[in-house]
Amino acid sequence: MSYAHPEYLVDTEWVANHLDDPNVRIIESDEDPLLYAIGHIPGSAQVDWFSTLQHPLRRDFLTKEQFEEVASSLGITNDTTVVFYGDKSNWFACYALWLFQYYGHQNVKIMNGGRIKWEQEKRPLVKKIPSFSRTTYSAKEADKSIRAFRDDVFKQLEEKKPLVDVRSPKEYSGELTHMPNYPQEGATRAGHIPTAVSIPWAQAVNEADATFKTPEELRALYEGKNIKADGEIIAYCRIGERSSLTWFVLKYLLGYPTVKNYDGSWTEWGNLVDAPIEK
Amino acid sequence: MSLPQKLQEIVDDIASMSREEKLETLISYAESFPVLPERYKNERNQMEAVPECMTPVFLIAEKQDDGGLIFHFDIPPQSPTVRGLASILASGLNGCKPEEVLSVPADFYTPMKLEEAVSGQRINGFRGVLAHMKQVAVKAMSA
Repeated sequence: MSYAHPEYLVDTEWVANHLDDPNVRIIESDEDPLLYAIGHIPGSAQVDWFSTLQHPLRRDFLTKEQFEEVASSLGITNDTTVVFYGDKSNWFACYALWLFQYYGHQNVKIMNGGRIKWEQEKRPLVKKIPSFSRTTYSAKEADKSIRAFRDDVFKQLEEKKPLVDVRSPKEYSGELTHMPNYPQEGATRAGHIPTAVSIPWAQAVNEADATFKTPEELRALYEGKNIKADGEIIAYCRIGERSSLTWFVLKYLLGYPTVKNYDGSWTEWGNLVDAPIEK
Repeated sequence: MSLPQKLQEIVDDIASMSREEKLETLISYAESFPVLPERYKNERNQMEAVPECMTPVFLIAEKQDDGGLIFHFDIPPQSPTVRGLASILASGLNGCKPEEVLSVPADFYTPMKLEEAVSGQRINGFRGVLAHMKQVAVKAMSA
């Protein structure tokens, strides 16, 4: 058994062999914004989930026009193969990939194992910031079939369709209201969305080298909790970053046709007046 | 109210820097992050498990004869931003009395505008590290 869409995954060796490929843009997307400055894959660009990809005022992503500006400044054309990698088992790499897909960029991949595996293999990291010739990128209209808003979640509840909570067990059970040290990411209520099943994101990756688990292991993990290919699934976490990894796994590694990431996630639901909560 | 002198100097210095200088300064603080002295390695292992997605920050304070505190940290190298923030705090507060550590306002870091150099959300980690140092300082007062 292989992954459903193996073309969305490349290994570190593939990346090492494509460092100078003009049709490939390698992008680092981390939780810790200083990692790139300390050392990154030669020729790679950086996007920061917050300062690059979020709307400067509203709680939302860049607009289509703003996204076009970011892609153009990174020298990306509509045909460029964009490979994402990052820290923490590729959390924010998956988040960036999801946003590129949201604006219609088709040719995207994750470097399996991310920074951890690249470092373990003692491959080169450099401080030199590359410069790119500007392109004129043309984004598509936002693809809302991969993004859930709060009303979609209410509808999901009404229709008794599956929800996956990918946070840690203590966040799911409501023991933890918010993460200490993340004052901007708090919620006034703790618990989870009713009917959501708990499948922490980290169960989809191997702890040793941050690569994804095998297709068999992934299938057993999600089907074992009744998250199956024929369900229309919504995944969420706290701000939508960990659940974009689960979204990637369900959509591309297992090939589930309908999966949405709810980026409002707990920081919206746990603050939303009149929203049902279970503990 | 002013900060302890060394910390005030660091804050003023960084506040006057360009974006590039701020980034370089934070990197050099992160890279010069001191390793945890061998004598504390055992205590490190007894540290409580920290919930995921928060950088585990281990911290201990030694009380000197004059009552001043010396802070020792252990933070994984995968979290250079938090290492850098802890390093700034240690440089600014090592040798201070517990009362002086407690007097530092939670938002002391805002004049540095480090969010010009790294994503603003992560700079809030200063609050977490400082709060942790204050807890340790309170314990040191009663010790």
